[in-house]
Amino acid sequence: MRRLIICLCVLLLSQPLYAAHIMDRVREDRLENGLTLLMLERHDTPTVSAYITFRVGGANEGQGNRGIAHLLEHMLLKGTKTLGTRDYAAEKPLLDRIEDVGTRIDRLKNNPATDPAEIEGLRARLKSLQQEHKQYVVKDEFSRIYAENGGVGYNAFTSKDQTTYLISLPANKLELWAAIESDRLQNSVLREFYTEREVVREERRRSYESNPSGLIYEALVANAFTVHPYRNPVIGWDSDIANLSLAEARDFFTRYYRPVNMVITLVGDFESDNALELVRKYFGAISPGIPVPRVVDVEPQQRGEKQIRINFDAEPSLSIAFHKPSLPHLDDYCADLLMDVLAGGASSRLYKRLVVDEQLASSVASYGAVGSRYANLMVIDATPRYPHTVDEVKAAIYEELDRLKREPVSNIELQRARNRLVTDNLRQMRSNSGLARLLSSYEALGGWRYLVDYAAKIETIDPAQLVAFANRYLKAMNRTAVVLQREVK
Amino acid sequence: MRAILLTVFILGVTACSPQIFSQVVRPDQLNFPELQFEFPQIKRAALNNGIEIYLKEDHDIPLVEVTIMIGGGSIFDPVGKTGLSSLFAASLQSGGAGERSPQQLEETLDNMAAKLSVSSSSYAYSIEMSMRRQDLIQGFNILADIVRRPRFDQQRLEISRQGLIEGVRRRNDDPRSIAGRTLAQSIYRNHPFGRTPGSATLASIERSDLISQHQIYFQPNNLSLAVSGDVDLDELKTLLTQTLGDWQASELPDLEPPALPEQPENGKVSIADKDIPQTTIMIGQPGIDKNNPDMMALKVANYILGGGGFNSRMMREIRSNRGLAYSVYSYFQIGRKLPELFIAKCETKCDSTLEVVSLMRAQMLELTEKPVSKDELRVAKESLINSFVFAFNNSHSIVTRQLRLDFYDYPPDYMQTYRQKIAAVTVADVQRVSKKYLHPDKLQIVLVGRRNEFEQDPAAALDMQVENVDLGLE
Repeated sequence: MRRLIICLCVLLLSQPLYAAHIMDRVREDRLENGLTLLMLERHDTPTVSAYITFRVGGANEGQGNRGIAHLLEHMLLKGTKTLGTRDYAAEKPLLDRIEDVGTRIDRLKNNPATDPAEIEGLRARLKSLQQEHKQYVVKDEFSRIYAENGGVGYNAFTSKDQTTYLISLPANKLELWAAIESDRLQNSVLREFYTEREVVREERRRSYESNPSGLIYEALVANAFTVHPYRNPVIGWDSDIANLSLAEARDFFTRYYRPVNMVITLVGDFESDNALELVRKYFGAISPGIPVPRVVDVEPQQRGEKQIRINFDAEPSLSIAFHKPSLPHLDDYCADLLMDVLAGGASSRLYKRLVVDEQLASSVASYGAVGSRYANLMVIDATPRYPHTVDEVKAAIYEELDRLKREPVSNIELQRARNRLVTDNLRQMRSNSGLARLLSSYEALGGWRYLVDYAAKIETIDPAQLVAFANRYLKAMNRTAVVLQREVK
Repeated sequence: MRAILLTVFILGVTACSPQIFSQVVRPDQLNFPELQFEFPQIKRAALNNGIEIYLKEDHDIPLVEVTIMIGGGSIFDPVGKTGLSSLFAASLQSGGAGERSPQQLEETLDNMAAKLSVSSSSYAYSIEMSMRRQDLIQGFNILADIVRRPRFDQQRLEISRQGLIEGVRRRNDDPRSIAGRTLAQSIYRNHPFGRTPGSATLASIERSDLISQHQIYFQPNNLSLAVSGDVDLDELKTLLTQTLGDWQASELPDLEPPALPEQPENGKVSIADKDIPQTTIMIGQPGIDKNNPDMMALKVANYILGGGGFNSRMMREIRSNRGLAYSVYSYFQIGRKLPELFIAKCETKCDSTLEVVSLMRAQMLELTEKPVSKDELRVAKESLINSFVFAFNNSHSIVTRQLRLDFYDYPPDYMQTYRQKIAAVTVADVQRVSKKYLHPDKLQIVLVGRRNEFEQDPAAALDMQVENVDLGLE
């Protein structure tokens, strides 16, 4: 064994630890209209991953339009004035009539004084208009065009702070992407709206109302925040979705989905100069728009622990959250390190104590949650192991958190956490789409260089700062703890 | 100079209205250059003891990924010890190896920022490790310890066992887990494919069972290894020769899977009553294995039926036209040795459950009765052919794909001929294979949700035999 190490070390150990040379190749451009373009050439395989991220998401909604960013994500897949329609000029009057009837239904359906027969009549009318509309619809044409051109991973996702549209294509189809996406931005037609609202309600039932882990997460977030819109689920509450209007959707879209709020990231096999020209050609003439205004709501300091119990037909689970600042605050980096020390790997403190030594839990995890633009949460989840109770698990977790307030973490633990965080970032950079996702997301939040500077930043944090962090944030007053379990009768 | 050119270009663009682009040239009418694609080169080698090595170098990022596959797995779990392969994998990962106790091993890996995971599937054990280039020596030493000198620490074995038993206690928490288990049971019955671990079978497994699993299956001539990342072939061969080269090959284990039971004669609806507002629908029937000559035609047929996302009929009818679901899809599990299943899945609010089941069934029936349109066939084929390049999209998927193809004895030209075979599928082929392999009158259907909210009596509505699933724990 010893011999092996000696004969290989000269060969192997010549590279520095954080050799993310790949980031030196990121090219950043900004068009006149404010659109940000990040490009990274990688010529190993003839494919390109293309991400478009808008700096708008669930946090930018309020009463009356909660869930709109996510519903728009669905609606923007429905086509344009030329795609998804046989004849837009003929279709348009029908779309207006559908909207008119749909709006009347929405107005009447929440009023207890409404005559049920009137609603029924309108619903029948809507149904027959929708039936009539079908003759003009070419179903899911974006999807069809991308698919037959070899696109994969055609998708979109909405978070609290941003909305992203993504696709990976064979390298020769980059212009197809530019043509489709610029058409989507400029000419989207929000057709089949009332059907899609029902699809989103099914999505909500699937991800939250029938799913214990979705349900406990939603309850945790909704209870941890009192004021800040981070409290609302991105998908919206069921009654939000059922009442979202086409007018709201159009308004949100025309206001925010504009070049100044937009980051395009391309990673893969293309020539940057050509790609820049292509992006200019297709996106350069779009008027800039106005930046998404900052959310002004400030979460007041929590004045005592929130303990929540929710019932669901499942074995018990536990989720605990503490308020903390978000990046670029140094405490965000401290939280990353502490979360890894607590539950990062098999040798982390909580895993070792709860799963291995005391066997109170079968799993434990810690992660930052909700969004990254405004003050957010550090979360600890645990799965109690029968016959142990959530209270036993909680008590053990709180003891470990208290220990962090008294004793500095060892240098070995700290270095381990740094290594793991930096290496995890590298792992996400292996694929074109993973790299595009990282770049796009951090650029939309404040700057992709966060990824480059990360290692140096966490190198500066010492054990005393982590003790200070623990004392500042990991206290009962700042805590929300949710238990999910079967109803106790 | 560059600045001037750019300015002119911007003026040029602004002069024409953006409307013009979308109205004059539809995106699908653009012309594209030919795609330049060559099959990526994989470097291969073998050690004298039979270990097969695959390497795809990739020096972009200073990481190295390793996947080891070893013949064995859950299909060989003895009756009464269902879960043996899962417990074996968990204990191999956490039970320590070589000179390292479980805790020493975990600390070493965490200090290296390495990731290690051991899993078992039907026919194989897989060990995945991701490490930094600078840790290659230690990383391969650890891998060698794990495959050759596992410790199966008794205390860790108990922890893994308790974790799996906790999983059994929680198996009714998620409707999809109930549906998957029930479907497998109704088709495979007491075959290993149909069995799920229980507290009793897990409790009956001894440490000596794990040791003998290791002795039977962990042989160098039963092991292949795929590596990608920041390492070259000479380095890799040196590392592997030093760590695994003196491992003597011995007799290969019997890897012949137990035969499948007779297929169920009739269709059946199994209902698990669970207090949730949405029903999980899972439909299945016996399917095909990888040697089936109709596989490519079925890939195309299934794309049209439920595999092609928004371009599939199930998605169009159930989600897009009716708003009855968020997710609906179908697929053929391609059995690596034994034939596996055709599966279709969907979730819908409880009071549209039977409507959705009927729609899914109707889509299957229509595919068997009517030829698909030329357009549908074209989209399906072009999508499968043009997205083929993504099979090679990252270096680790390139090597692990080749590893699996060889491991499961796929024909050597499988990838090379894939696109031609898809291209050759005709409208008549699609109808023929749909008729042959889809049997909408003999489906095993599982429904998990609030039964009293279904629109009507399921037996009457679907004209099928109905059975209740007992969700009680043993």
